[in-house]
Amino acid sequence: MDTFTQLTLNGLTLGSVYALIALGYSLVYGILKLLNFAHGDVFMVGSFIGFGTLQLLGGSTDPVVPIWLLLTLITLTAMAGCAVLGVAIERFAYRPLRDAPRIAPLISALGVSFFLAYSMQLLFGAEQRDYDAFSLGNGVLFLEGFNIGNVRVPLLRIVIIVSAFVLMAVLWVLVTRTRTGKAMQATSIDREAAAMMGIDIDRVIVFAFVLGSALAGAAGVLFALRAPTFASIGFLAGLKGFTAAVIGGIGSIPGAMAGGLILGFAEAYTQGYISTKWSDLLVFVILILFMLFRPQGLFGKADIRKV
Amino acid sequence: MSGPSDWDDSLTTPLEGAAEASAAEGPTSPAVGRDEWVARHGERRAIRGGLLGTLEQRLAVVPWWAWLTLFAGIVCLLPVGFESGYVRRVAFDTVVFMLLALALNIVVGWGGLLDLGFVAFFGIGAYTYALLSSDQYDIHLPTLVVIPIVAVVGGIVGWLVGLPSRRLTGDYLAIVTLFFFQVFLTFTNNGDNVFGESITNGPNGILNIDEFKIFGWDISRSTSEGLFGVEYLYVALGLFVLVYVGLHLLNDSRTGRAWRSLREDPLAAELMGMPVNRLKLMAFAFGASVAATTGTVATALNGSVFPQNFEFPLLITIYTMVILGGAGSQAGVVLGAVIVSVLLEVLRDPGDARGVFYVAILLALVAVFRASWQLVAVLGGTVVFGIAAHLVAGGIDDRWTSGSVEASGRLGEWASDWVIVPASLAGWVPAVSYIGLVALALVLTLVHGWLRTALLVPTLYLAAFVWENVMVAHPESTRYIVLGAVLVAMMVARPQGLLGEKRVEIV
Amino acid sequence: MKVRGLAVLALAALGAAALAATAGAGSSGVTSSQAVSCKSALKLALVTPLTGGGGFIGQEQLSWAKYGVKNLSKKYGLKVQLVQVDTPVEKGPGEALVVSQKLISDQKVVAVIGPATSGGVASASQALTAAGIAQISPSATRTSLTKGANREATSSFFRVVPGDYVQGPTDATYMVDKLNAKKVVVIDFQEPYSVGLADAAEVVLKKKGVSVSRQSTSVNTTDFSSLVTRVPGDADVVFFPSQQPSDAQTFAQQLLEQGKKAKVFGGDGTNSPDQFKVAGSYVSNFAPDISGIASSKALIDGWKKDNPKATLGSFGPPAYLAVEVALNAIKKACDAGKGQIKNRKDVVKHVKKINLKTSILGGPFRFSTKSNDPLNAKFYIFQIQSNGTYKLVS
Repeated sequence: MDTFTQLTLNGLTLGSVYALIALGYSLVYGILKLLNFAHGDVFMVGSFIGFGTLQLLGGSTDPVVPIWLLLTLITLTAMAGCAVLGVAIERFAYRPLRDAPRIAPLISALGVSFFLAYSMQLLFGAEQRDYDAFSLGNGVLFLEGFNIGNVRVPLLRIVIIVSAFVLMAVLWVLVTRTRTGKAMQATSIDREAAAMMGIDIDRVIVFAFVLGSALAGAAGVLFALRAPTFASIGFLAGLKGFTAAVIGGIGSIPGAMAGGLILGFAEAYTQGYISTKWSDLLVFVILILFMLFRPQGLFGKADIRKV
Repeated sequence: MSGPSDWDDSLTTPLEGAAEASAAEGPTSPAVGRDEWVARHGERRAIRGGLLGTLEQRLAVVPWWAWLTLFAGIVCLLPVGFESGYVRRVAFDTVVFMLLALALNIVVGWGGLLDLGFVAFFGIGAYTYALLSSDQYDIHLPTLVVIPIVAVVGGIVGWLVGLPSRRLTGDYLAIVTLFFFQVFLTFTNNGDNVFGESITNGPNGILNIDEFKIFGWDISRSTSEGLFGVEYLYVALGLFVLVYVGLHLLNDSRTGRAWRSLREDPLAAELMGMPVNRLKLMAFAFGASVAATTGTVATALNGSVFPQNFEFPLLITIYTMVILGGAGSQAGVVLGAVIVSVLLEVLRDPGDARGVFYVAILLALVAVFRASWQLVAVLGGTVVFGIAAHLVAGGIDDRWTSGSVEASGRLGEWASDWVIVPASLAGWVPAVSYIGLVALALVLTLVHGWLRTALLVPTLYLAAFVWENVMVAHPESTRYIVLGAVLVAMMVARPQGLLGEKRVEIV
Repeated sequence: MKVRGLAVLALAALGAAALAATAGAGSSGVTSSQAVSCKSALKLALVTPLTGGGGFIGQEQLSWAKYGVKNLSKKYGLKVQLVQVDTPVEKGPGEALVVSQKLISDQKVVAVIGPATSGGVASASQALTAAGIAQISPSATRTSLTKGANREATSSFFRVVPGDYVQGPTDATYMVDKLNAKKVVVIDFQEPYSVGLADAAEVVLKKKGVSVSRQSTSVNTTDFSSLVTRVPGDADVVFFPSQQPSDAQTFAQQLLEQGKKAKVFGGDGTNSPDQFKVAGSYVSNFAPDISGIASSKALIDGWKKDNPKATLGSFGPPAYLAVEVALNAIKKACDAGKGQIKNRKDVVKHVKKINLKTSILGGPFRFSTKSNDPLNAKFYIFQIQSNGTYKLVS
C-alpha cells in the first residue's frame, strides 16, 4: 500500500510537469495545426534561466532573499524569458511558413530545436546543472511536510504540484474568460472565419505562443528543482510532453492536463511495478497503439476535413 | 524537352497583329494570340542571352546518366589524387550519406511523408548484417546472400512501419515514426537481456563483424598499416550507382508519377483513383530497403555496430542534406549530401573551420548581391569597420586585442589582426555576444533597403567576433548549430532547396 | 537546371575541392616508416568526447592534458602540440575509427591519449595498432578490453587507470566485509561503463551470499523517484556506478526524502566533492585523494591557476598521467633514435617499459607485463563526512 501511495505521489509530481509542457503543444497545435518540436527545448532553456537566476541571487546555499520569494522570482524570470523566446521562434521560424505545405514548418521546428539545444551547449557547456534545492534553508523543502500513512510528502513536492495546478487554473481562466482567450478558441475552430469576424490572427497566435512558452518555462523550473538539468534534455522532455498531449487529445486544453497526469501515472506505475528498464519501451508501445486506434486522444475531436 | 527549333513553324509565328497587340498591353499581359505561343512567353523571357545562355541551354539537354557517370568518375579518381587514408575514408562516408539521402528522398521528396524514424531502418540493416555475419550467433553467411536478405528485411520493416500511414496524416505520422525510432533505440540498448538471451548485445555492441567476401575475395577493411581499405569506397560507389539508376527508372515510371500526384495533393490523387495507401507503403518500403542495404556496407567497413551509432543528430543531418539539396530531386540530394558531409568533416578542426566560415560568408554575400557595387560596398565596409574597431579596442585596452586564436595558420594570423580577440573572456561575453548576434541577424530579416545593407556591416563583424572567440573553440557544437540554422533558413528562404522544383500550394 | 543552381553547384564543387585539398595537404605521407625529427613539433592526439552527453569527461581530460603538455614538454625538452579530437558519444563508438584515420595519415602524430570510451577503443584499436600508434587511455575501463580470450583491444593499447575488474570486486568486498551488507541494489545506466562495473560487482556480491537486486535505467534519467521507490526499505547499500556526480547527489537526496535507509555507494565516476556530498555515502576511486598527496600539491595548484573556474574531478589527473607516460616514452624513443623517431612503433616499446618514480596519482607507476594495465592497481574507498569532505577508509 505504501508503495502504491509513493508511486501515486511520484506520478502526480511527474504528471504535473508533463501537463504543463503538453499544454504548450496543445495551444499551438489548436491554432496552427503545427507540432512545435522546439517546445521541449524551450522547456530546457527555462530550466537554465532559472538556474542562472538562482546563481545571481546567491545560489541555493546562500540566498539573499527568503526561500518563497526566491522560488517565485526564479519561476517568473524563466516564464518571461521563455515567453520572449517563444515569440521570437514564432515570428522568425513559423510565420513565414504559414501558407507553406504542412511539412515545411515541421522541418523548420526540427531545425529550431536542434539550434536551441546546441546553442545552449555551446554557451553553457554539456555538464548537468543542479539547483540543489536540498540545501535551501538546510533541507527544509525536503524534510518538512506531512505524512500519508508511512509515506512522507515533502514540502517541495507540494509546492510543485500546487504551482502546476495554479498555473493550469490561471491558463483556463485566461482562455475561457478573456477576450483574447475566446478569440484563440475561435481561431482554433476556423481560422478564416475568425479573421472575417475581425480577429487579429497574428496577435492571437502570438498570445498562444506566449502562454505555451511561459508554461514550458515554469515547467522547466519546477522540474529542475528536483533533478539536475542539462542541455540535451529538451528532446526527451518534448517527446514526453507531446505524448501526453496526444493521449489527451491534441488541441484540447483539458485533454492536455489529463494526458499529462495519465502519462505521469503510467510511467510511475510501470517503473515501480514492472521494470525501470523497459518502462520507456512499454509507454511508447502503448502510445503507438493508442494512436492507431484513437488518434484524436481522449478529449479531442476526430478531425473531419470537408473537401 | 524540345527546343524552339522543333516546334511547328505555324505555331512559332504569331498571328498578324498579335505582336503589336501584346506590345500594346505591356510585356507581361498577352492580349491575343494562339495559346501555346502565348503560354510560353514567360519561358522565352527567362532565356538568357549571350554565352551564359548558350551554356545553360546546352547543359540542360545533357542526359542525367552523363552527369552520373561524370560524378562517379570523379569519385573513382579521388584515391589516385589523394593518398591520405583520412580523405578516402571521408569519401566513403560521403557516399554512405549520399545513399541515405537518396533513400530519404523517396519517402520525403517523392512521397511527401515526414518520416522521423528513418535512421532506425539504417540501424536495422546494420544489425541484421551484424547478426548474420558475426560470432553473435556464429552465422557467417556469404556476403552476396546477406545483402539481398537485408534489403528484403528492410523493405518488410518499412512496409510495417508504413501501415499506420494509411490512417494518419502528416503530423501524426511523424509522431508514430518518431516513437518507432525510440522503440528501436530502446530495444538495441537493452537487447542484451531479452528473457535471458542477448540479441543485440546491448550498449557494448556487436564486434568482429565479417568483412565483405565477394566471389571468394575477402575485402579487407584496412591495410597492413591501419589505413582505410579503399576497395570499400569502390563497393559503396558501385552500390550508389546501382541505386541511383534503379530509383531514377522507378521515378520515371508510372509509380513515380503516382508518387508525385500523391505528394502534391493526396485527396485529389485518391479521388482520381490512385491506390494511395499502396503508394505510401511502397515509398516506405523502398526507402527502408535502400537504407538497410547501406547499413550493410557501413557496418562491414566499421567491423562493429553499437546502438549509439544511430541517434537523433544523424537523422537531422540526413534531413539537412535532403532539404538543402532539394527534396524530390535526386541530383539535388546527392549534392546536398556532399556539401553537408564535407562541411561537417571540415568543421572538425578549428583551423579548417575558420576557412569554411569566411568562404561561406563570401558565398552568401555573392549569392545575395550578385556582382554589384553593393557587394563591394559591404565587403569593403566590413573590412574597414573591422580595422577601425580593432584599433579602437586596442587603443582602449591592450589586453582586449592581445589574445590569440585557436589553431592559427595564415588565415588565423590575419584574423587575429582584424577581429578583436581579447586575452581572456569575461564569463558573460560569449553568451551576450552570441545572443546579440542571433538577435541582430533576425532583425536584419525585418528591415529592408539601404538600412539592411548598412546593418549588414556590423553584423558581419560581430559574426566574425563570435566565431573566433566562441564557436571555433567548440567545433562540435558549432557543427550542429550550423545544421539547425541551415534547416530553418532553407525552409524559410528557399524551401525547394538548391536543385528542387518550386512547389505552389493551392489552398 | 537553372543557372542559379548551376552557379551554386560550380561554386560548391570548387569549395569542396579546395577544402578537401587543404585537408589532404595537411596530412602528408602514408607509411609509418617515415622518420620524424624530434626537433620539429610532434603531435599528441587527445581522442575523447568533448561535447555532448559525455562532454564533461572530455573537457576535464582536455584541461589536464593541456596543462600536462605545457608543463612536461619543457621538462623533457620536446616540442609537443596537443591535438584535440572530439568523439561525441552521440555519434557512437564508430566515430573513433573515423578520426583515427586522420591521425594515422598524419606522420607527426606519435601517440594517442585515449580513446576515452571503451567502445571507442574496441572500434579503433586494431587500426591504430596496425599503424603502430600507441594508445594510452585515461578512462577506458572495460575489463574485456585487455583480459580474456576475446580481448577487444590490441597490443599497443595501454590504460593508466585500473579496469572494472579491480573496482567492482573491491567495492563489493568492502560492502560485504566492512558495511555488513546483506541486501544490495545494483544499478546500471544502459551504457558500457556502468554495465561493466555493475556486472563485476554483482558477481562478487552473489558469490559472497548477498541478496542482490539489479535495476537498470536510462543514462538520461535525472529524476529517480520511481527507481528509489523500488529500493526495498531494508536494503543496506545501493551501488550507483554513475558518471555524473550530480546524479548520485540527487539519488541520495531522494533516498532520504522517501525515508529509505540504504546508503549510496558510487564508483569513480561520482567522485566529486563539489557535487556529491550527501553525508554517509561512499565513493571509490583509483587514487587516494590527490589533493592530499604532498608531491601532487604543486601540480594541482598550477592547474588551478590555469583553470580558475573549473572543479577538480576524477577524470582529469589520469589524463595528466597519460601525457606524462607518452612524453616519457617519446623522449626515450628520440634518444634511442638519436634525435629522430624512426618508427612510431618505437614509442610503443618505450611506453611498455615505463617506470615513473612518482606519479600524480601517488606512488610509482608501471605497467603490468601480462596485460597493459597498471601494475598493482588498487582502488581506494572514501566515506563522505557530515561536512561534505571525503575521508579515506580503505
